[in-house]
Amino acid sequence: MIRYSMWALAGLLLGAIVHLVVILMVPAVAERDVWAKVSELDAVERIRLIPSAVVGGPNSFDLDPALIHAVCQLDLRDGPGELEGELPASFWSIAVYQPNGTIVYSTTNRAASGRRVNLGIFNPALTRLLAEQQLEIEEGLLIVESPGDDVFVLVRLWPEYPELAPRYKQMLEALTCRVLR
Amino acid sequence: MRFVLGLIITLSVALVTGFGASYLALEDGRLFGALRIGSWAAWPSAGSGSVDPYTMAFLARTGRLQLGRSEGLRFTAWSDSGGTPLRRECRYTIEGTTPVAAMWTLYARAPDAAVIGEPSRRPFVDSVNLARRADGAIAIHVGPGVRPGTWLATPGSGPYALVLSLYDTSVFAGLGATLDALPVIEPEGCE
Repeated sequence: MIRYSMWALAGLLLGAIVHLVVILMVPAVAERDVWAKVSELDAVERIRLIPSAVVGGPNSFDLDPALIHAVCQLDLRDGPGELEGELPASFWSIAVYQPNGTIVYSTTNRAASGRRVNLGIFNPALTRLLAEQQLEIEEGLLIVESPGDDVFVLVRLWPEYPELAPRYKQMLEALTCRVLR
Repeated sequence: MRFVLGLIITLSVALVTGFGASYLALEDGRLFGALRIGSWAAWPSAGSGSVDPYTMAFLARTGRLQLGRSEGLRFTAWSDSGGTPLRRECRYTIEGTTPVAAMWTLYARAPDAAVIGEPSRRPFVDSVNLARRADGAIAIHVGPGVRPGTWLATPGSGPYALVLSLYDTSVFAGLGATLDALPVIEPEGCE
């Protein structure tokens, strides 16, 4: 009996190793990660609405059905990214994601000045240029530093009443999202 | 023979604990990484710059667009206040208060992330379009059949989760809001 409990104990230790390997391997083997799914939306340097989740339909980004979402992909190798435009007075928030789904920066309407959005996204090389004042930027630009070159921006917007949704969607689509070359 | 039997024991224990613990850790954060309050679980570190390996694996597995730390916090509950898994054919009342937030939303989510509801109604409840009690507390009825007051419909059958998203919440600021202030999910029988 004691002999078998030693075998079981060895099994537990091995199980702990299996567990750690599984946890560390999951990000590498996951096929449809966030970046792959966002890429399917054809949102490179343009803002695209993510179709609202309908009852019973797929919701692959696991998004809140109460909100409207728009996304835009940027490649910072060519220059700093910019998200610019006007949003309604309702609740909205902006998040800058890395390809693995972690968030570099996020903000909400409460932190922004007025309804205007003017976000500049810089990779480390561009940030250095910025610090050395070798880059011309607009005044009032909110500066976001990204550790990598590939990022995507997600804007969430809350229509307080369903009647507001069509107009809010237009406002989201009117945002400018581009790389400044 | 004994060696083979021992080896079988070792390997089966290793596989069950290794994969079992990974499943529990990632499925709803039962083991690590998640913040748990009553039936509600959230992944607060998912929205910050520093992400632990569990949260990273959770993000990769679900492929979801989680909320940034300044955007808010999203809680998911798979069971009622007594720990029994939520089922669509059962009735519940969500009662209590919510932490300070610019707004919040509540919806029912199937295991495959699909939104649950009646096609003719909005499939969610939010902090504005809601009848409150005199003391400001919420009381949301959840279940398959029509209920008085604020009702979140869960037609069909099978397990599901309730998702409570607090937007622009001061939960992280440590001022004015305590995490104990999440509402409780009281079961009221099944059909």
